Amino acid sequence: MVLSKNNKMKICLTASAGGHLTELLKLADGWQEYEVFYVSTANMVAKKLRQYGPTHVVGECNREHLLRVILVLMRCIGVILRERPNVVISTGAAVGCIVCYLGKLLGAKVIWIDSIANVEWISLSGRMVRHIADLFLVQWPELAEQYSNVEYVGAAI
Amino acid sequence: MIFLTVGTQFPFDRLVRAVDNIFDQDLIDEEVFAQIGETSYKPRNFESVASLEKKVFDERFKRASSVISHAGVGTITMALKNHKPLLVMPRMKRYKEHVNDHQVATAKKFEELGHILAVYDVKELPDGIRKLKNFIPLKRKASPDAIADRIRRFLNSLQD
Repeated sequence: MVLSKNNKMKICLTASAGGHLTELLKLADGWQEYEVFYVSTANMVAKKLRQYGPTHVVGECNREHLLRVILVLMRCIGVILRERPNVVISTGAAVGCIVCYLGKLLGAKVIWIDSIANVEWISLSGRMVRHIADLFLVQWPELAEQYSNVEYVGAAI
Repeated sequence: MIFLTVGTQFPFDRLVRAVDNIFDQDLIDEEVFAQIGETSYKPRNFESVASLEKKVFDERFKRASSVISHAGVGTITMALKNHKPLLVMPRMKRYKEHVNDHQVATAKKFEELGHILAVYDVKELPDGIRKLKNFIPLKRKASPDAIADRIRRFLNSLQD
């Protein structure tokens, strides 16, 4: 593993503004001792995130708008190439999924925590990331029984 | 004051319009304040804004006697934290309010656990608002520490 100058693992924390980000920030004790940076979707949350670490806003996108997805993808590529994280941690949604894949391509480990909003099934983004995730957590015990390689240890909310 | 909020990603006019119409029927005897997103719909019966700064949003939320919203995790989290009676109506894919119908399952789950009230159609909204007045949400025992701990153990294992 290539570590940053201060010999610490660098962690990319990524989540869409709103509920996904609320959930991610509840877990902050998990990465306290590491160097972190954030990737999120709206300027509205950037001010708050900058208190915790460098923050990149890449804009909102979902699968209904392909052009937006491509634009956001390009921005994410730029961020990941510059930052070179050792680990990507995400609670979703689409942007989290994109960043997890990009990180993985560059050798990062991937931690996915599927949003508590998903009760019956794992989210679409989550189902895609499950193939590459090194740790995959869900927030309802029933979901851990439904899928393989998925763990339930608790709920963020 | 009842705080009506629909999140910030997309508008949710079906809910805003329904609350506005219920006002006409004199079923709401309280002031309503709404955050409704970027939309052309303008409520006749209460004050509304497209979006609020986080700090102002939190302030309004805390001041509200109860909250009406979509079934978004952000709002549900805030209601649980502030112990506010919350009534949700899930966004539906068929009205192009979201990419899928997962909010229905979210609403049902949190409703089942006694944390929130939920309605699944505008027709049920008047009844929901009536119940909201006396609704006392059950407190939730979350376990973010357990997840944080699992993440910490995983990260430590990478450095061995």
